[in-house]
Amino acid sequence: MVQSLTEQLDSIRMGITMCFSEVVLSTGILLMLLGGLLFRKKPSTFPLLAFLIILSSLLFFIVQAQQFDVPVKLFNGMLRSDDFSTYLKILFDIAGVLTLAMSWRNQKNHPSEFYALVLAVLLGAHLLVMSMNMLMVFISLELISISSYVLAGFAFTRKGAEGSLKYFLFGSVASAVMVYGFSILYGMTGTLDFSSSVFVEQLLARNSPLVLMAGLLATVGFLFKISAVPMHPWAPDVYEAAPMPVIAFFSVVPKLAGIGVLTKFLLALSLFGQSVYDWQMIIGVVAILTLTVGNFSALLQKNPKRLMAYSSIAQSGFLLVGVVAFMPQGVQFMLFYATVYLIMNFLVFISLQYFESKGIKSIEEFSGTGVQFIWSSVFLLIGMVALTGLPPTGGFTGKLFVFSSLWEAYQLSEKPVLLWLLVFGLLNTVVSLFYYLRIPYYAFIKSGDSQERQNFLTPENLLSLVLVILILALFFLPGMLMGWINKITFVL
Amino acid sequence: MAPIDHFLYLSAFLFSAGIVVVIVKRNAIMVLLGIELMLNAANLNLVAFNILQPGLFTGHMFALFVIVVAVCEAAVGLAIVLRVYQHYQTSIPDEIQDLKE
Repeated sequence: MVQSLTEQLDSIRMGITMCFSEVVLSTGILLMLLGGLLFRKKPSTFPLLAFLIILSSLLFFIVQAQQFDVPVKLFNGMLRSDDFSTYLKILFDIAGVLTLAMSWRNQKNHPSEFYALVLAVLLGAHLLVMSMNMLMVFISLELISISSYVLAGFAFTRKGAEGSLKYFLFGSVASAVMVYGFSILYGMTGTLDFSSSVFVEQLLARNSPLVLMAGLLATVGFLFKISAVPMHPWAPDVYEAAPMPVIAFFSVVPKLAGIGVLTKFLLALSLFGQSVYDWQMIIGVVAILTLTVGNFSALLQKNPKRLMAYSSIAQSGFLLVGVVAFMPQGVQFMLFYATVYLIMNFLVFISLQYFESKGIKSIEEFSGTGVQFIWSSVFLLIGMVALTGLPPTGGFTGKLFVFSSLWEAYQLSEKPVLLWLLVFGLLNTVVSLFYYLRIPYYAFIKSGDSQERQNFLTPENLLSLVLVILILALFFLPGMLMGWINKITFVL
Repeated sequence: MAPIDHFLYLSAFLFSAGIVVVIVKRNAIMVLLGIELMLNAANLNLVAFNILQPGLFTGHMFALFVIVVAVCEAAVGLAIVLRVYQHYQTSIPDEIQDLKE
């Protein structure tokens, strides 16, 4: 496949016009660093600048979504722009905007590098979900990882340093293992493009246990990013140590990016269901373990941040359920759940940040906050109810969709692992009720000493109110979002 | 076509050695060294497998990128270890136990 130089330049130029939002983000990173040098005295300009950058990247999607609906390969098949990746990228940008809104309060602690790193993680996530090539997967995963190691330590405390060290050691081992897996896959297929037919044909022809081995090694990197169970121990430590906006960001953006690329990669690895190795079972077992370990460990937690860490592990289990279904519909429901997950997670974290700023750091200290900070407590309650998956919130609809797709997959293939996954998923939903409602229990049932009332009109409350309306709307009118998601065709 | 078996044996050995170093050594700097070994095992694989594809440089390209990324990772990692050392006067993760349930 030798192309002339002009053809290659043309394809690169075409690619750049298609990747406008990634170009905006990359320019934004440089602008933020430059701005940090030039306007060090006026720190309030940085969040504004970062806000504008993400917003312009978001606006481009809305324009782009109407223009291109066929998948387009860019940069010689390195990236592919399609509906699936565009939808996830919109979610990332919304999460980025919400993160900036959360960090608005204490911008004193945030030099321009903070915003540059947030933009870098966003750029990595954008590229990761578009990647069709193992080289590109590696680079964008590392872009996310290396930036997040630094972001994890942004509290500038003893604990922050410890958290970021643990994150770093875990993360780099996982990515090294992943690269080794990629190298073996490359050796067996002779191509790095995992969407190409050569990749599938060669793997089908080999059919040795080495395929299974290499595939397992390669998925380690993704499982680490979504904090699925064998690769989860970093999450609680990092979540406890990092500042609140950063946790909210970590729990959404790298996780959804990892899930997005895992979905594509698994489809290729399972050779579209023709593989002798049952990848559906492997990921099903991982999902069962993730759900169970995440939920049961969360029961014992005293720190709300650690609680949310285990909650986010358990939630990746639910996202994995959508992947395990291995059907176009399963992916669509997974996208719906991802949207709901983004909203409810940010809702909880915004309230938790407010309580943290009032000096409430452990679950016992929430006693009586239901009276004192009534609005934040109510929003926290709604967020927790949504995370549990109870009506009338979008969390219920999301879980219902994900499990119904799993049920359909079970009826089609009759694999026992899918039934077990369903059983464990439902049982774990019950278990999660006990820890999710613990903070609201302390807030509303236990009485505190202070009777001071909270003013409703704070920026946090208004932002939470918007999220609450969204999450209720997703319960009463899920068709609005589903109509949009249904147009997304998932192809490899 | 040249036989590439011995390259693969060497890379498998390097990878296992890297994993052993990561697990056994307690110092964060030594763990970093083990990670470097694992990445180089992957590099060796990539370059060796590229022999099977004459005329293409995909494996070489990947190896180059892995080297560059490994350098970035080491730079960030050493900075983090330095920060930890300032706070705890040690670079042994086992002795740093502030984050516990």
